[in-house]
Amino acid sequence: MDAALIQKGVRRCSFGQFILFLAVVGAVLLWGVFAMLLCWIKGLNQTNMNDYYGFALWIWADLAVIAIGGGAFFTGFLRYIIGKDELKNIINYAVLIGFICYSSALLILAIDIGQPLRGWFIFWHANVHSMLTEVAFCLTCYFGVLTIEYIPLILGNRQLDRVPFFHNLSHNMHEIMAVFAATGAFLSFFHQGSLGGVAGVLFGRPFAFREGVFIWPWTFFLFTWSAAACGPCFTIMITKITEKVTRKRLVKDNVIELLAKISGWMLITYFAAKTIDTWYWAAVTAPSKGFWMMDFYSGNSLYGLWILFAEIILCAFIPGLILINKEGRKNKTALMIAVILAVIGVSLNRWVMVLQVMAAPVMSFDTWAMYFPSWQEIATTILPVAYGIILIAISHRYLPIFPQEKELNPIE
Amino acid sequence: MRIDRRSFLSFVIGGAAGTALTPLPWKITDDLAIWTQNWPWTPEPPDGEAAYVNAACTLCPGGCGITVRKIDERAVKIEGMKGHPVNDGGLCILGLSGLQLLYGPTRVRTPLKKVEGKWKKVSWDDAIAEVAAKLSELRGKGPQSLACISGSDQGTVPQLLKRLLTAYGSPNFMDMPSFQDAYAITLKLTQGVDASAAFDIENSDFVLSLGSGIIEGWGSPVRMFRANSSCGEKKGALVQVEPRLSNTAAKADQWVPVTPGTEADLVLGLAHVIIKLDLYNKDFVGNHTFGFDDWTDGEEKPCKGFKQFVLENYSPDKVAKTTGVDEKTLTTLAKKFADASSPLAVCGRGEGKTPGSLHEFIAVHALNALKGSINKKGGVWAVPESDYISLPDLKTDDVAKKGLETERIDGAGSEAYPYSKSLLNRFAEVVGTGEQSPVHTLFVSGANPCYTLADTQAVKKAFKKIPFVVSFSAYMDETAQAADLILPNHVYLERLEDVPPPAGLSQCVIGLSKPVVAPQFDTRHTGDVVIQLAKKLAGSVADAFPWENYEACLQEALGDKWDALNESGFVATEVTPAGWEKAFAGTPSKKFEFFAAGYQPVTIEGEEKTFPLILVPYDSMRLSGGFIGNPPFMTKTVSDTMLKGNDIMVEINPKTAKSRFLFLNDGDYAILSTPKGRVNVRVHLFEGIMPGIVAMPKGLGHTAYDDYLAGKGVNVNELIGPVEDPGSGLDAAWGIRAKLTNVPI
Amino acid sequence: MKEEHKHEHKAKKYGMVIDLDQCTGCGACMVACMAENNVPFRKDETDKFLSITWMRVYQLTNGKSFPNTEICYLPRPCMHCEGEHGHSPCVSVCPATATDYSHETGIVSQIYTRCFGCRYCMAACPYHARYFNWWDPVWPEGMEAYLSPNVSPRMRGVVEKCSFCFHRYQIAMEKAHYEERHELKEDEYQTACTQACPAGAITFGDLNNPDHAVCQMKKSKTAFRLLERLGTHPKVYYLSSREWVRRAGDNYLRDEDGKVMDKRKLRN
Repeated sequence: MDAALIQKGVRRCSFGQFILFLAVVGAVLLWGVFAMLLCWIKGLNQTNMNDYYGFALWIWADLAVIAIGGGAFFTGFLRYIIGKDELKNIINYAVLIGFICYSSALLILAIDIGQPLRGWFIFWHANVHSMLTEVAFCLTCYFGVLTIEYIPLILGNRQLDRVPFFHNLSHNMHEIMAVFAATGAFLSFFHQGSLGGVAGVLFGRPFAFREGVFIWPWTFFLFTWSAAACGPCFTIMITKITEKVTRKRLVKDNVIELLAKISGWMLITYFAAKTIDTWYWAAVTAPSKGFWMMDFYSGNSLYGLWILFAEIILCAFIPGLILINKEGRKNKTALMIAVILAVIGVSLNRWVMVLQVMAAPVMSFDTWAMYFPSWQEIATTILPVAYGIILIAISHRYLPIFPQEKELNPIE
Repeated sequence: MRIDRRSFLSFVIGGAAGTALTPLPWKITDDLAIWTQNWPWTPEPPDGEAAYVNAACTLCPGGCGITVRKIDERAVKIEGMKGHPVNDGGLCILGLSGLQLLYGPTRVRTPLKKVEGKWKKVSWDDAIAEVAAKLSELRGKGPQSLACISGSDQGTVPQLLKRLLTAYGSPNFMDMPSFQDAYAITLKLTQGVDASAAFDIENSDFVLSLGSGIIEGWGSPVRMFRANSSCGEKKGALVQVEPRLSNTAAKADQWVPVTPGTEADLVLGLAHVIIKLDLYNKDFVGNHTFGFDDWTDGEEKPCKGFKQFVLENYSPDKVAKTTGVDEKTLTTLAKKFADASSPLAVCGRGEGKTPGSLHEFIAVHALNALKGSINKKGGVWAVPESDYISLPDLKTDDVAKKGLETERIDGAGSEAYPYSKSLLNRFAEVVGTGEQSPVHTLFVSGANPCYTLADTQAVKKAFKKIPFVVSFSAYMDETAQAADLILPNHVYLERLEDVPPPAGLSQCVIGLSKPVVAPQFDTRHTGDVVIQLAKKLAGSVADAFPWENYEACLQEALGDKWDALNESGFVATEVTPAGWEKAFAGTPSKKFEFFAAGYQPVTIEGEEKTFPLILVPYDSMRLSGGFIGNPPFMTKTVSDTMLKGNDIMVEINPKTAKSRFLFLNDGDYAILSTPKGRVNVRVHLFEGIMPGIVAMPKGLGHTAYDDYLAGKGVNVNELIGPVEDPGSGLDAAWGIRAKLTNVPI
Repeated sequence: MKEEHKHEHKAKKYGMVIDLDQCTGCGACMVACMAENNVPFRKDETDKFLSITWMRVYQLTNGKSFPNTEICYLPRPCMHCEGEHGHSPCVSVCPATATDYSHETGIVSQIYTRCFGCRYCMAACPYHARYFNWWDPVWPEGMEAYLSPNVSPRMRGVVEKCSFCFHRYQIAMEKAHYEERHELKEDEYQTACTQACPAGAITFGDLNNPDHAVCQMKKSKTAFRLLERLGTHPKVYYLSSREWVRRAGDNYLRDEDGKVMDKRKLRN
């Protein structure tokens, strides 16, 4: 039925099957949209956030999707700036995943703020001292860049490409893509960092606060570093899942392995940096404010030392170790475990830097505050996942996302 | 069509610039933002001329002066009046919330009549005519079946109500109980005077409080706060004796936890040490008292004196066992009390709404007497009741005379209770037990007995038996709900009224509260209603009320003070207590009389076997436990260790929570039962309470008022019944035996 | 003459000294604040994480068991932190400049119509002095009559907090200008809580002005501030004669006896 839209030389499932799939995911999406409308119309009382948890599940989701969406900028950086040419075979998908992650992040932010209709005040009345201002500017600009990077992909559709204007437009855009990619990489380094800065500058919150250089706390660099390390892992993970779902190979192993190897080294170095940072924080920064490290890891039912172990050893060091070893990268199961751990690790780190910061008491007579999100928060957090799946499904079906697909899956 | 790089870039830039130049998107964005800043459903208070009006706060008997900020005709803020002799600028949490009462949703807006269980609006003329008809009809059958419950017996409006009853022929005017009732009897017995007790706390250098909530609303709250503050400045000491670390205990220099109900033993134990160590005031005890040493009565029978009685029965080791206060603490405390130059012991638990045990009051008074802290700087003073109101004598007709000769329904003043003036605690029993209620018509003014009296269920039952209940309440409180007719009074900020001098103060401050705003609804001053009602009754009743309206009456009643009051809002006069030489002329011995063993301690209700714990109510400044229901602002400040959602939190010691039959964690649900009832509660584990005690805040569990108050928590009065003091007949229940059990899973 | 003129325009630094020995925990300051500043209320205010109280009275305990337990009440308004050169924790993070540090008065302001509700400032404030309007403010029928025109009620979705009754400063300054004065007398500008406190525990004034009581009081040996070690430079000082109370104002690694602190004991 939609054969005319599908690229030549590739096999796609039946239209009926495709629609059924979309309907199922679409139902979840609608559930999320309903929750989103509730939050907009009735206000944020629909959430379980409170005055202790001004930042909660959404901000975590925001930070997490941006971190794992970091595959786009880092792959772009490797491809266009460093010149790892093989990565052109995965860059499209990285861009698409990045686009999904960043558009989701913006959507979540639009739900999260109490006055969405005045959200633009962040640009109009910008406070240059605020990390959030930096985030907003970089995020929006980079989303623009990702859109520009995504447009040629859309124009690559068989039918659209037949329109000469679109064809030429697409061609021209491809030509200048390196400029955008470079801009994007620069912006991304910044806003990934600013997101780390969001927590790190909170000098009223000794659990989050970090020293640093100039205006940037150490978390600024750690966030960029971890996003660069784990973003590509997420790209690999999604690619592998897409391959599983579509039951065909889409990207050659050497491409995946190259990306995995770089990620591995990034993870190992991140592990080292994070360890030093944690040690310095626990030994110097927190005690200078009157806190033992254990003050933040005891006295409550959830946050214990396990979280540090999980974040640093289990989800950074171990996957790093797997990925820097050839055997590890080549072993499909090990590779999958490694990238999943890395993705969990970065998400956990973002959770800690948002939720645990809010939970830990600062005044000596204050209490640990625990929080569990409302269904509206969960639904709106799942909304972008459903949206992402739908966009990937449509893009995969109609757009030339994987340049190696035809070669890897020849049709007799 | 071929697009080169140049045209591509021009297209992109041109397109962007073109859109940006269109004003539409920008205009819409901006308008939307402006709209969010002026949402029509977010109120915008209108501006106007600002003015300040002085008035008085009559929400409690504290008598504070207030200054109300007004914008045009709206009252927008209540502040304490600077320079006022009682509160000088400060104001308590209830006084500050007053505008929520004025503009609150629970006000009764017109006279209401209950028809088949539903409220129906009636006109003032019809309402007053109906009451008058009822009273006219009733008078012939026996005027004593008209009764009145008033929040106080002080001030012109209660006096007018009382006058109406007297002219009509009923002696049954009852007022709400207070610890001053027990003090009045104590002063009558020991000093032979009709007086109320005043406490010169400001000039005392050692205050021993037997559970009195000095900063929890006892006496005149703001004045007490100030006294407490200045206490710290001049290095005076406050020792708080009570089982719970209340706010007062927390602010005291020493907290002495004591088994509740044994305060009198502790006091007599202190007396024991003071006497034994020969530390008492020889001048006072030797020259101005009677009954200290053994004596013989008229029939030459030897009687044991106070000294011997205390020395025999209250040795520190014995007292330590009963009170739970160790010997050393007791002895040190006694020495400190004796060493102080003007020590002062006070009693009346918590806010002082329950009179208490005469035994205890007399013991406390005796301790003061040992140190001569009677009618002396820094001591307790007997201040004759202020007679600032002068109404013309009233002539009663024969019907009235006959009615007035009958015994009061509550038995006050009878042979059984010779000293009491009003025993409202007996009301539920008297009305509830007989076949027919002895009261046919009941007026309730300035009181909410269906909520504030102990054993609320019984009170409500009694109300049901009374054929005709008229409430003068401005709010739809529990008692108004139980009434047949509501004749709503103005709220205090809308009415002219005298403010009687607050009891307990060492100076006499009479106030005049003038209306701050015009009446918001179709309400009427109770003073006016009483006068109009009397006029309808004609004859000698009408003759007793010759005034055109309340204002004329007030002007006459205040006489020469009117002008001064009208001008400044208050008149303060220093009170000088009678010196020792003259003070005790009223007693048989013409001296201060010690009572050795005349009165008995009070035992609370319940068997220890079935109810191993003791439930004690406690007062908090953030909860109004009296006639006025908590306004939303105050409820907002109530701690989550008192109320969580709609669940009341009771305080228990962690040791109580983990006993043989109990396992409770902080915040757990439990069942609290007493001989009077059984409720679900949540427990708050608190180290500041004696093991074995359960403390429940007063002022919650309303069934009336609005959603901001109704249904929140439990009314502790439903769990506690009144316990009659064997000496005075007043309510002396300081708690009740209780049991906590885990909620069955 | 020139000297005098200079003094007249010296920057003010309004602050508060709260004597905890005098505070009785009655809550009058909380209600005075709510009444002054049109603070809304809801039917259930028992979840203190959702209850807007610009001024909140905390109950502190010494962590000892019966009968050695002690409690102390601590009123907590906004601390109006100075931070480093006015970079208070919240002001420095607000992305839309909706909260600002006034170098003229030392007051941290909040512009409700500019705030778009990102709540970053709340995350930044260790004192929990900032509150979000999760709901539309709704007054029961008729009660809107007592709303003050000097403080606009806040719409849903914005953050609010104690302003040191800034509108009173404005009114006082207007009056002063009208009378051709540049300086306010100490009693001309007082916050609602200061005025209302029945125990007289709160003193308010210009910390820079030696004629104001607060200036001397803050130098007391028993004075302390909350979380000074974080570098927030709060402008609310507390006085307490009790060592444990003063220590509860900040965090320490070891207790008075040099033992490692178990902070759990102090949390109610």
